[in-house]
Amino acid sequence: MPHHSAGSRRCSISRRVALTGLSLLFFGGCGQRTNEPRLVAEPEAPAAASGATATPPPAVEESFEPPALETIDRDARWIDRPVKDALTLLRAEQDAEPLKATVAEALTLRNDTPSNNAAILSALGQLPAEGAADLEARIDRHVAGDLGSTNPILISSNAEFDILGLTGFGLFSFDRQLEPFANAETVVSWQTSADGLIDKVVLRDDLVWSDGRPITAHDVAFTYRVIMDPRVPVPAVRSGTDQLRGVHAYDDRTLVFFHREPLATNVWNINFPVLPQHVYEKTWEDDPTLKDSPAHVALEEKPICGGPYEIVSRKRGQEIVLRRRDSWSTVKGKKVRDVPYFRDVRFRIIEDPNTALLALKSGEIDEMVLQPEQWTTQTIDDDFYRLNTKATAPEWVSFHFAWNIDTPFFADRRVRRAMSYAFDHDRMLEKICLGLYEPCAGNFPPGSWMAGPKKLAPGKQDLDKAEALLDEAGWTDHDNDGIRDKEIDGRIVPFEFTLLVNQQPFRIAICTLLKENLEQIGVIVNVRPVEVTALQETMQKRSFQACFSGWGSGTDPDTSENIWKTGEMRNYSGYSNPEVDRLFVEGRRELDRGRRAEKYARIQEILYEDQPYLWLFWRNSFYGFSKDLRGYVFSPRGPYHYSPGFGSLWKPRAE
Amino acid sequence: MAHRSSGFWAEAWRRYRRRPLGIAALGFVGLLVVIAVFAPAIAGTKPVLCRYKGRLYAPCLGYFDRRLEPAIFAKDKFRGTYPKNLAAKDPESWAIWPLVFQDPYRPVRADEWPGRPENPAMDQGHPTWSNLFGTDQGGVDVFAKMVHGTTIALLVGFVSMGIAGTIGIVVGAIGGFFGGWIDSVTSRLTEIVMCIPTLVLILAIVAIIEKPSIWHTMAIIGFTGWTGIARLTRGEFLRIRGSEYVTAARASGAGPLRIMVRHILPNALAPILVPITFGIAAAILTESGLSFLGFGSPPPSASWGSVLNGARSNLAMWWLVVFPGTAIFLTVLAYNLIGEGLQEATDPRLREARK
Repeated sequence: MPHHSAGSRRCSISRRVALTGLSLLFFGGCGQRTNEPRLVAEPEAPAAASGATATPPPAVEESFEPPALETIDRDARWIDRPVKDALTLLRAEQDAEPLKATVAEALTLRNDTPSNNAAILSALGQLPAEGAADLEARIDRHVAGDLGSTNPILISSNAEFDILGLTGFGLFSFDRQLEPFANAETVVSWQTSADGLIDKVVLRDDLVWSDGRPITAHDVAFTYRVIMDPRVPVPAVRSGTDQLRGVHAYDDRTLVFFHREPLATNVWNINFPVLPQHVYEKTWEDDPTLKDSPAHVALEEKPICGGPYEIVSRKRGQEIVLRRRDSWSTVKGKKVRDVPYFRDVRFRIIEDPNTALLALKSGEIDEMVLQPEQWTTQTIDDDFYRLNTKATAPEWVSFHFAWNIDTPFFADRRVRRAMSYAFDHDRMLEKICLGLYEPCAGNFPPGSWMAGPKKLAPGKQDLDKAEALLDEAGWTDHDNDGIRDKEIDGRIVPFEFTLLVNQQPFRIAICTLLKENLEQIGVIVNVRPVEVTALQETMQKRSFQACFSGWGSGTDPDTSENIWKTGEMRNYSGYSNPEVDRLFVEGRRELDRGRRAEKYARIQEILYEDQPYLWLFWRNSFYGFSKDLRGYVFSPRGPYHYSPGFGSLWKPRAE
Repeated sequence: MAHRSSGFWAEAWRRYRRRPLGIAALGFVGLLVVIAVFAPAIAGTKPVLCRYKGRLYAPCLGYFDRRLEPAIFAKDKFRGTYPKNLAAKDPESWAIWPLVFQDPYRPVRADEWPGRPENPAMDQGHPTWSNLFGTDQGGVDVFAKMVHGTTIALLVGFVSMGIAGTIGIVVGAIGGFFGGWIDSVTSRLTEIVMCIPTLVLILAIVAIIEKPSIWHTMAIIGFTGWTGIARLTRGEFLRIRGSEYVTAARASGAGPLRIMVRHILPNALAPILVPITFGIAAAILTESGLSFLGFGSPPPSASWGSVLNGARSNLAMWWLVVFPGTAIFLTVLAYNLIGEGLQEATDPRLREARK
């Protein structure tokens, strides 16, 4: 997926990214959940409800009557918002930076030092010079799981976000610094009223769906109505959208978003995927699942696409092939947008990371995420460097042990802190993560604006403190069997709990380390590997005691409200703190970035004190790339999930 | 019954002894039993026997069941490491240590044992004098894992085939002896159970149970693996129940239970023992396969299959393949040789064919 045409790829990517952000926030977010690539492919259906709980009045106000456009224009003082072309932005950024190596040099380097990594990223991350890209090229991408749906508003897993990024239509996007903008490939202008309650967007008039019908503002307004209909099982994209008061198309090109409140997050709430109205308006009322009726089944196989690519074939469990559509870049015989850099994008579905690495080494796939062990021991020889190279960059994905606070074990904050003191953080970072990952102490990425200036001290093992805290909390060995216990409701309850984890050896190793550490101080852990979807279900039902899991950060800190606020859907720990609840609401209402940051920094401090999670590490991006690939640039959300993201990748023309 | 049919069994043993491979196989299984029983004394980090604060303890029993590990060491904050703590907390103490100071469940840390370096992790754990069979990715000693895994391998075979043998003989005996509609019922039951895919059932059960353990696996293998034994027993009973001595027993007033247990079973046992022996081999393979796929005993487990599983991600770590692979191969081979020897020693037709 190197570049799609600049415009198209951007749109799609931006939308997708935004969605990912949203999904993180609200629903369980397969995309957000930071499983390893394959694990990420988890369908998370029951998310729909979460959005509803997050914001009190989610139902569409049927009564909302949009005022006339003249009235709005007369009353509002418009502030122009950025409309940008992501590739142009990236090109300008790259032109300003000196190259650290030539392409030829970079291709001979082994990525074993930070300076070599920087050289590889610098030289191979460049956009193509005029005519240098092979526009007939195909890229074979690796995904770890199949699609649940190809319908843009039913997406929830990582693979679905990946595909939608290329086939879907979107108005908004965000760049490498996660700053939002309107996409110049689809949008002419974007204005926000000075009171922050209205967004006005003018669409371009040269946009068509893959069936040749024009894409208009009415499609967007129609999609909003479908998303907000409670009968439609929307897993991810309703969160955010439900904060809107209404969306109205005044003509084919003029679109107005009405907000309930001037929130800092409004800019994310107006970013959702778009359905073709002419296709769905006849069918969706009869089959609100959007999946079951014959018409919808046919659309599932061959969706009408608004992005630069369309799906041409699909073998379940094996591959999905996308092809660039000409009607994206050329409309009515005129070239209106750049041509995406790849003609075909083939997604190969390979679950097992070892199998995927073999496929990468033999040239069957062009890119994949590498596990720490793969990075350190299996991609260092000629066998790997013959066809490939690799690169790394920081990424906002963190992992933790989540405690179920409703169980007798973890209700007490002292016990949760004791867990952190008991765990051998250093050994995990050094021996299991092989020094590749950064320690994680809190929920916001260090150095990001929301984390605040204060640096939280990462956990450090201190068994004496751990034992003292457990003693203090009443967990001592009353019955002399070497295991701590406590009298609860007249019964002696031994401190023995089950720790759930998915079936990846890397994660099991971390859980086994906790087991070993806790056994030293008389606490018994039963490590139980379970299959990914079963794990997710258990977490949603909150019928676990402890589990190993991770989150990918959303684009905005507000996206994590549904992880920490009392009673929220993704608050699997059952954490509740009125101050945190209040700070999230305040943070959303606060428009000044600096003052907002203070709110979120305070939230992070409170969470650090309360330790609802035992935070473990930030997982950076580690990717293997074919030597034929160019143009990969990393953001805090990895090399693909922003704008241009995947759109900047390309393959050079054969000499 | 034992001495009454001793002539037959003594004869069988005499014939069995003539097969050197069979004897070697028996010896190998015997060796495994010894290793399994004395596993904590062969490899471990807990003293086999120690004197601490004036009393004798055997902390190594904790490897069999953690409740057997004396609580005084937890109280005195030993935190799982004995050598230095013993000396520090009671200078008068002494201890008898296992032959190899390595733990099957965790890597030995630097200087835990005087002068011994930390176990190497990832792909650095080549076999050395400190780690006879190398270490796995987590730094856990493979030799210790293999020694303690012997218990699992043997238990899986004996327990699951014990269950299967009991059910199979009872069901087969009832069906074969009574015949008629009872036989129809037991035969259909056997056929139904034959249709249950063991592997799928194990995966399903593991998903359902709160705390799945190796015992569940054994039980499932046992409860689904008795069909062959039942069919063989039924055949034998059908054959023998028509013989003169059974008729004679019946004429002298013996009840059905007495006839079945005293008269028919001893004469039917020899051919039934053969599939049980082969079944033990199959059960060991099934358990190793499950552990290899990651569905075996919960981590950190010391089963042979789970060591093999570690090699999946990096085949360059040959010691994770060779040692457990050889152990599984030899054990399965040994049981098969025993089964074959038993078959030849007890089946007169095979003996005739040999001549």
